[in-house]
Amino acid sequence: ADVTWNVSLWGKRRAFTEHVEKLAELVNAKTNGTFEIKLHYGAALSKSRENLDGISIGAFEMAQFCASYHADKNPSITVLELPFLGVPDLETQIKLDKLVYATDAVKKDLGRWNAEILMSSPMPQYNFVGRGDAPKSLKDFEGMRVRALGGVGAAMKTIGAVPTTVTASETYQAIESGTVQAASFAPHAHLAFKTVEAGKWYTTNLNPGTVNCPVVANTDALAALSDDHKKALMDSIDEAYAHYVANYAKLNEKFAAELDKLGIEKVTFNADELAAFKAAAGKPNWDKWLADMKAKGVPGDDLFKLVQDNLK
Amino acid sequence: MPGSSTSIHPDPHTPHQDAPTLRLWDGWVAKIEDSFNALAGLSILFLILLAVVQVVGRAVFNTPVPGFIDFVEQSMALFAFLGIAYTQRLGGHIRMELILSGLSGRVLWFAEAFATLLVLVLIAALINGSFDHFLRSWNLGDSTIDIRLPTWPSKLVVPIALSLLWLRLIIQFAGYARLLLAPDKAPVAVPLIESIKEHAQHEIEDALGDETGDISNKSQSRENVQ
Amino acid sequence: MTPFDIGLLYTGLLLVFVLMGMRVAFAAGLIGFLGLATIFTMKLGFDKGIWVAIKMAGTIPHSKSVTYALSLLPTFILIGFLAFHAGLTKKLFEASKRWLGWLPGGMGVATIFATAGFAAVSGASVATAAVFSRVAIPEMLKEGYSKPLAAGVVAAGGTLATLIPPSTILVIYAIIVEQSVGQLLIAGFIPGMVSALIYGGIVIGLAMWKKDMAPSTRTYSWVEKFSAVPGTFPILIVVGIIFGSLYLGLATPTEAGSLGAFVILVIALWKGMRWKQLSQALHETAKLTAMIFTIIWGVLLYVRFLGFAGLPEAFKNFITSLDQPAIVTLLLILLAYAILGMFMDAIGMLLLTLPVVYPAVIALGYDPIWFGIIVVKMAELCLITPPIGLNCFVVSGVRPDIPVQDVFKGATPFFFADVLTVGVLIAFPSIVLWLPQQMFN
Ligand code: NA
Ligand code: NA
Repeated sequence: ADVTWNVSLWGKRRAFTEHVEKLAELVNAKTNGTFEIKLHYGAALSKSRENLDGISIGAFEMAQFCASYHADKNPSITVLELPFLGVPDLETQIKLDKLVYATDAVKKDLGRWNAEILMSSPMPQYNFVGRGDAPKSLKDFEGMRVRALGGVGAAMKTIGAVPTTVTASETYQAIESGTVQAASFAPHAHLAFKTVEAGKWYTTNLNPGTVNCPVVANTDALAALSDDHKKALMDSIDEAYAHYVANYAKLNEKFAAELDKLGIEKVTFNADELAAFKAAAGKPNWDKWLADMKAKGVPGDDLFKLVQDNLK
Repeated sequence: MPGSSTSIHPDPHTPHQDAPTLRLWDGWVAKIEDSFNALAGLSILFLILLAVVQVVGRAVFNTPVPGFIDFVEQSMALFAFLGIAYTQRLGGHIRMELILSGLSGRVLWFAEAFATLLVLVLIAALINGSFDHFLRSWNLGDSTIDIRLPTWPSKLVVPIALSLLWLRLIIQFAGYARLLLAPDKAPVAVPLIESIKEHAQHEIEDALGDETGDISNKSQSRENVQ
Repeated sequence: MTPFDIGLLYTGLLLVFVLMGMRVAFAAGLIGFLGLATIFTMKLGFDKGIWVAIKMAGTIPHSKSVTYALSLLPTFILIGFLAFHAGLTKKLFEASKRWLGWLPGGMGVATIFATAGFAAVSGASVATAAVFSRVAIPEMLKEGYSKPLAAGVVAAGGTLATLIPPSTILVIYAIIVEQSVGQLLIAGFIPGMVSALIYGGIVIGLAMWKKDMAPSTRTYSWVEKFSAVPGTFPILIVVGIIFGSLYLGLATPTEAGSLGAFVILVIALWKGMRWKQLSQALHETAKLTAMIFTIIWGVLLYVRFLGFAGLPEAFKNFITSLDQPAIVTLLLILLAYAILGMFMDAIGMLLLTLPVVYPAVIALGYDPIWFGIIVVKMAELCLITPPIGLNCFVVSGVRPDIPVQDVFKGATPFFFADVLTVGVLIAFPSIVLWLPQQMFN
């Protein structure tokens, strides 16, 4: 290959990285192998929390990270992680991600790291797998120790739950032993960390929020690409999204089948309760976020409005 | 206090023997190292108490320490780095002495000085790079995943601790260089190679503590073996 | 030169530096940094490449040290330093003696099982050997044991501390290969007990074969037996806390280690430990902690370079392409460890080799947890082999009347016991894997 890009990824190959795999495959085909995108899993090139540092240094050309891993590194995109935005599906999530990423605020924010966002890793809403008596109403979350980080944790706190820190890999045991009574993840992570094997119930529609995980490129490396190479890369993004979404749909089916197989009780809350939850946890957290952005000089109002307007 | 004495010369105020300047520097840097290491030890005690509070709080009062993992991770920099120069002074970073212990005189001092010089280059690079790592979190922002603690204080510990190590290495390099020029002089400000027997004796002292008598005298005599 | 060639060349240079006596942490860090500098210079030119290397290398010490799972290490180290002050050793040995003394070679068997019990509060083989040289050797000699045997029993018994949790080396292995710390610690328990049983069997066999080597001890009445039990309660409490919370998941490994350290600290203070000894223990713990963290980030800096060079993957492909049964490759690797371990410290040896060896062994189809136990057992075996088997020097150091050659001689049967243990663990992997698998059921 004339040009080789290294991509810093953590963990193993999974649904969460399928778009990057597809991107590499498409670019390779379109450029007759003259532009190679080489994936490095297992945090071999950098810890996930430091992928933006690596991009800024120029140690690798491409990386994936999640906004909430270090909210203060990338305040602008945390708008997509606010609780109770009410994003119905991955297609809508992609639409919002693209709109937000295209704003000057985000470009400037990521530009500080010499980074440019190529695409997102759209994730469905988080939901809880838990053990013990299934919650019948939101009141039942009072005093419940839950594994929920950042914004989701803050949202759960408003209904009286007790956010408890446990690392992802320890979550299975933590549920099993009662250290926490429930844990929130996206479906692929519930499968990966085997929480479903420890839990007895699953909340189908609590939807307190999700994480936003962009795939970025080093700005200089992107600028140094020949027109052909750059076109091959940019033209592959939509197909990579499509592949990712199709693959995640398969995974959702697998997740549903796993829930049935394990006989996990599905907890669905009624509309009134969800509205009350949203009122209690949504608005106050949004206002807090807006004030925080104002203090940081990030146009939070514009970003939030952009998201809200495009959800209707 | 174990090993709170300097490697060769315990008292910075009596530079009456050979290499007075070197002894003086050795003594003063050793004082900083001792307090850094004490701080590291206390941070370990703090971690243990915090974890006990966390478990009891969670199990008995259903109130775990918010952001416990964030707190632990950020404070880890204290015990991971603050003792690094102290350990270097006492020759506590492991190495293979099989070949070195067969050398003596100028050859030995050359090997030691050369290795120290190479490590000086590495540590200089790392001071630079770790300060840059701190600077990024300071200028561009960075916070922990759960309760959004700023990460810069923890990152700043690294270049500070490495700078102290760099000073220690300079002193040791000077000590070795001095011996390279005059191999007959008594070693000053350098850890000496322990035979496997001396090493075993040291391990025994660590395990049995003051049962073997006053430990600081012991390690003093160990390091003064010539 | 390709990055792979550079990886190979610099790894050779690393060996030279380590042999030359450069401190392992810094040798690895230096090679890692030089390697990154070379790779980035080839890609970006020297002016830019050198700065990318400096900045990349500069992220690693903090990034790799500030990891929650590693926060367990100082708690285990402190437990080891306080265990002796807590005065648990003599009581444990006394109880073990009263219950097992009736066996042929009873005092030796009692020593083995007392070291196994002490292993549950100590992560350090060498410290355990030192403590029991003080406590158990005089009693064995009083019974008329041969000096080499008495010394060998203690040197070998000390190695149990590394398999039975808490164990620093198992934690380091778990971190390097990214396996569950809790599972690895739990996995060490049964192999540790199997080791103790095989050691005990060896003592019984020797006692029956040569009566004058290990004369039998008097028997104790049931009253005497039971009256010795309460003295072991503090150890049982700590075992219960560490083992129970890990196995049942009531606490994370760091929390379990902290609880154990806290209880031992309270017992030690109650037993009369004063600020001076506590300060000494904290200083020593901080020093050992700094040593371990430095070698961890130093080696991980080298590993980062290997990652950019692609060496682990190439070695993995080479190993898996070999035209021989996997077991032969495994045995060759273990033999290499046995030879390396004769000259190198266990932590340095594991850290330097695992990044390249581990992916290959896993690609051969072996279980990560199982391999961890095997490789740690290999590292422990080296503590009782010449020329620098540290446990033997420690025993001889506490007992200057027993020359180190005699300790090595006395430890020889236990060396063969260890080879047998490794063989058993290879033949029956479920000895290692059964207990940790129960954690997931
Ligand atoms: Na142990
Ligand atoms: Na050895």
